[in-house]
Formats: sequence, structure tokens, C-alpha cells
Amino acid sequence: MFVSAVAGPGFVPPSTNDFNLPPVFGNSAYSTKPVLLVFLSIILISIFFIAASRKAAIVPGKLQFVGESIYAFVRKDLAEEIIGHGFLQFVPFLFTLFTFVLVNNVFGIIPFLQFPAMSHVSFPYVLAGFSYFIFHAIGIKKQGIGKYLKGIAFLPGVPKFAYILLTPIEIATYFLIRPVTLSLRLFANMFAGHLLLLVFIGGGNYMLHDSHLFMKILSPFSFGFGIAMTFFEFMVQCLQAYIITLLSALFIAGALVDEH
Amino acid sequence: MASNEEGALWSILGYLISGLLIWGGIGYGLDRWLNPHHHWFMLVGFLLGMGASIYLVWLRFGRE
Repeated sequence: MFVSAVAGPGFVPPSTNDFNLPPVFGNSAYSTKPVLLVFLSIILISIFFIAASRKAAIVPGKLQFVGESIYAFVRKDLAEEIIGHGFLQFVPFLFTLFTFVLVNNVFGIIPFLQFPAMSHVSFPYVLAGFSYFIFHAIGIKKQGIGKYLKGIAFLPGVPKFAYILLTPIEIATYFLIRPVTLSLRLFANMFAGHLLLLVFIGGGNYMLHDSHLFMKILSPFSFGFGIAMTFFEFMVQCLQAYIITLLSALFIAGALVDEH
Repeated sequence: MASNEEGALWSILGYLISGLLIWGGIGYGLDRWLNPHHHWFMLVGFLLGMGASIYLVWLRFGRE
């Protein structure tokens, strides 16, 4: 895209086309960059945590310390604080979700990888699907399907006629809006972030190769913004990994509570 | 406690969106069905949905 922008008559702004990457090898949709990055992330996460926990010592080394800090963060600050009693059985899911999304998001700013897989909406859809399935299954298992659905549809302590207005909203919130907010927020943040970096860095590249001296002089500002935005993106990427885990934990907690 | 407040924030957002979508959508459907040249039902639906979801938010989070 950058090559065509330089050779062509004018600046070609980044678009959704920049997200549809060709297969890295072969001719299959399963060998595109996002798919390979997802596999890479799984391998890296596995290696890291196996290495961090293999020689578990009372006085932890650096690697073990980092690994345990991440685990403790998910376990204490997310699972235990939000879910409370019986949180332990959800820690593996939340921990996997957090590390998977975090690593894949941060891939968006690592040189040469530089693509967040979550900017393809199907990946967040699958993750939200897991959460969706788990929190409904937990609710049904804990309270029984009738009581669970009744708890969602009919809030106690409301005059009867208000149910006509409120019940459709409650049902839509639990069954339609929740998975959508869960997945679209992650997707939109990653998509917009990647696009932003493309604009500033691609724009800087175009200005640098422009024939006017004025444009060449101004191009460092665009690159500078690109670098600033990269740091900003790092913050957003970590935050989004945290938020999708937080919301999953909250939904699970909500399904476990009886009065809902 | 901070994360619970954050959770409440996202739940409230969810309720407001779904209130608008559901009742606005029902109004839109009625418009298409009854008089395709006006949007009165959609307008009423939006207002109704907005009011109902704010009421719901108050019921869920404001009562204690």
C-alpha cells in the first residue's frame, strides 16, 4: 500500500483493504497474517508460562515473578474481587482470555508483527461467544433454566404493567447486547488503533517522499505523532484486554447471584 | 469496589442501548407496517425505550 501511495499520483488513505491481508503462503484463508499471529501468540504464551512455572521456587526468579504477577492480577483483582465465593473454577478461563487478548493486542505494535488479530471482528466474536456460553450455562446450572430466565425477564419489585416495557429490554440486554458490546468494543478499539497508526506512519512516509521540500520538512511531525500514538495504543491494548476479562467476570458473577 | 463500579457503568450503557434499539425497532416496524411515510411510531418508540431503560437503570442500580 505504501509503495502504491508513493508511486501513484496522490496520497492513498488507509482503508479496510489494509486489513484484508493476502495469505502468507499457499492459497488458503487459514494462512493469513492474523491467523498465523494467533497461533504464534498461543505458542509464545505457552512457552512463557511453562518456563515461568517449571522451576517454581519459594524465592521466585525474574521470570517466575512476572508470570506469577500476571496470574495473581487475574486471580485476585479480577476473579476473586468480582465473582467472590467459588471464583476459583473460573480463573483458568479468565486467565486464558486475558493473556490471549493481551498478547494478540500487543502484537499490533511489535515491529514486523504489527497487526492486532482482534481487528478482524470474527476473533472477538468467538471470544465473546465463549463468555456468552459460559455465563448462561453457569446461570442455568446454578439456578435452573426456569428460575434463571425468570430472574432475567422479571425484575422483582416492579408494578405489573411496567413489565410490558421492561421485559423486552432485559431480554435484549442479556441475549443480544451483551455479546455484541463484549466483542465490538474490543474489535473497534483494535481496528481504529491500527488505522490510526497507518494514517500517521503511512502519511509520514508519503510526505517524506513527496517532491515538495515543505512536505519533507513536515514529515517528522507525522512520524512523531505515529510514535506517540504507538504508546497510546499500547495503553489501549492493555486496557481492552483488561476490560473484556472484567466484563466476562462480571457476567459470570451476575449469573451466579440468585436475585438476578 | 472500583471494578464493580466500572461493571455497573458498562451494564448501564448496555441497558440504555438495548432500550433504544428494542423500542425504537418496534416503532420502526410499526411505521413500516402501518404508514411507511411517517416515523411517528419510531419517535414514540425511541422516547419510550429511553424512558424505560432509564427507569430500569434506576431499579437496578439506584434503589439501594
